[in-house]
Amino acid sequence: MSDEPTVVILLEGESRIHRPGDTLAGEYWIESIDAEQVKAIEASVLWHTEGKGDEDMAVHEFWRRHADQGPFDSRHPQRFSTVLPNSPLSYDGQIVKLRWCVRVRALLHRGKDIVSEKAFRLGDVPPAKLHGD
Amino acid sequence: MARLIRYYGKKRGHRRTGSPTLGGVGEAAFFAAFLLLGVGGFAWLFSTFVLPEWRVNHEFVPSTCKVLDKSIIEKPDKEGTLYGPVLKIEYSVADAKGPVQAESHYDVHEAYSSSQDGAKAILDKFQIYTARNKCVYPCWYDPADTRLVVLTQGYGWWIWLWFTVPVSFIVIGAGGLIYALLRLGKSVERRAAIARRARGRRFLQPADGAASYPFVPQGADMTNSPGTKLKFRLPMAGAAGWALFGMLMFCLAWNGAVGVLLVVAIRGHVAGHADWPLTLFVIPFLAAGLWAIVHFLRRLFVAAGIGPTRLEISDHPLRPGRTYQLFLSQSGRLRMKTLRVSLVCEEVATYRQGTNARSETREVYRHELFRQDDFEVSGQPFETGIAMSVPKGAMHSFSAAHNDITWTLVVEGEAIGWRNYRRPFSVMVHPAGEGAP
Repeated sequence: MSDEPTVVILLEGESRIHRPGDTLAGEYWIESIDAEQVKAIEASVLWHTEGKGDEDMAVHEFWRRHADQGPFDSRHPQRFSTVLPNSPLSYDGQIVKLRWCVRVRALLHRGKDIVSEKAFRLGDVPPAKLHGD
Repeated sequence: MARLIRYYGKKRGHRRTGSPTLGGVGEAAFFAAFLLLGVGGFAWLFSTFVLPEWRVNHEFVPSTCKVLDKSIIEKPDKEGTLYGPVLKIEYSVADAKGPVQAESHYDVHEAYSSSQDGAKAILDKFQIYTARNKCVYPCWYDPADTRLVVLTQGYGWWIWLWFTVPVSFIVIGAGGLIYALLRLGKSVERRAAIARRARGRRFLQPADGAASYPFVPQGADMTNSPGTKLKFRLPMAGAAGWALFGMLMFCLAWNGAVGVLLVVAIRGHVAGHADWPLTLFVIPFLAAGLWAIVHFLRRLFVAAGIGPTRLEISDHPLRPGRTYQLFLSQSGRLRMKTLRVSLVCEEVATYRQGTNARSETREVYRHELFRQDDFEVSGQPFETGIAMSVPKGAMHSFSAAHNDITWTLVVEGEAIGWRNYRRPFSVMVHPAGEGAP
């Protein structure tokens, strides 16, 4: 095991493809870290764009735990769950790509942060190149 | 992996992104400088103009005076000479042994003006005290310096106009600083969540989307006009009339400016002292102006000569996998080589390159729904019904700040004697949703 702190995210269910209205659930924790090193943990279910254009991003669900709000041990699994929205659906276009993910950010003391993402697909829109005559 | 503050950004695609933390600090510093400038300017204006007037109105002691002499003094200025009225007056001061004589500049700001008439008009309000003309006037003196005396009170309204400058700096600086400080030290996800809550919605929606379909435009414009044959008449995307108007304004402005230079150049030739550098300078601009006029006229002829295209649809918004009816009507007197209607999906990406915002469009789907060759439109409009299916599994319309996915019904025509024309009609495709095939 590496000494570098790592955020682990696990999603429930075997499929990475979810339909709008499905409940997305899972848990996350941090490995190889002292509990007192973590100032806050933020978990988000979000989408963002990739491709030619500047990045667009929006958060569907956001949870934040801060040491000021009470002690917590970031090494213990923290569960989350949210109902997925109807749109925007995941999309693999030619110059616009839309990705959904669960992102967990651990904010450490002294300004450092550790980020990890677990991607999933919302909907089953095929890649753009499959369209057309 | 743990990350410290980056001084320069990571590579993203073919561009580099900056350090958010340093960017936030820089942004805060920029707005703080704005705020300081505004506060400094406000304080200077207040102490220089408002405070003296307030003291005249509230602290200066009222008295009466005799005008002994009056004159106009001149003061050199960057833009010429300024003229100020000076009245030598005699007035009584409390606790003084006798009357005091001093020179008053009428008001506390010394009432300088750029013309002698302004100073003279002030002096004309007062008459010199003589044995026959024993007129006295109210005056106000500073109890801290009894030789500072004025002959008018009140507030100048023009001072408050000056305050708009520092107040603008304060508003922009304070607003920007608060915004920057609220962002500073917060993760991008937290800022997005705060923005979402601020909008009071479950999901941030830059498009006109309903809460049920975030980031999917609803296309209200497409359903507010009923059709004559089918449910809705679709509006044409991109107002052709405004484009023509803009082109006309450009032609007028460009050729107006070139016309002035042209007149000067021609006059020189007629008078026998030709200005050849000016003439050679004008020629390419004149050519560009003539090209603009020709281009405008061709567009105008196409818009006016090819009659209106009407497209109606049986339902809206569209859903992937479903079939719809279209009704196409093409008016005018045309000998058509080809008339086509296609369903087109495009990706639109906007990105910043230096200080410019650039946009790139990529067509990712095109399906020809209708095509007819070699026919004539004369008198009666050409009309036809068209069946249309949105492909199953198609991506829905999407609208965000920098990325869009658009669906369009495109009517393209080739008419003999006319330039080819293209008339797009936007439609919105929503996710398949419940009950979709």
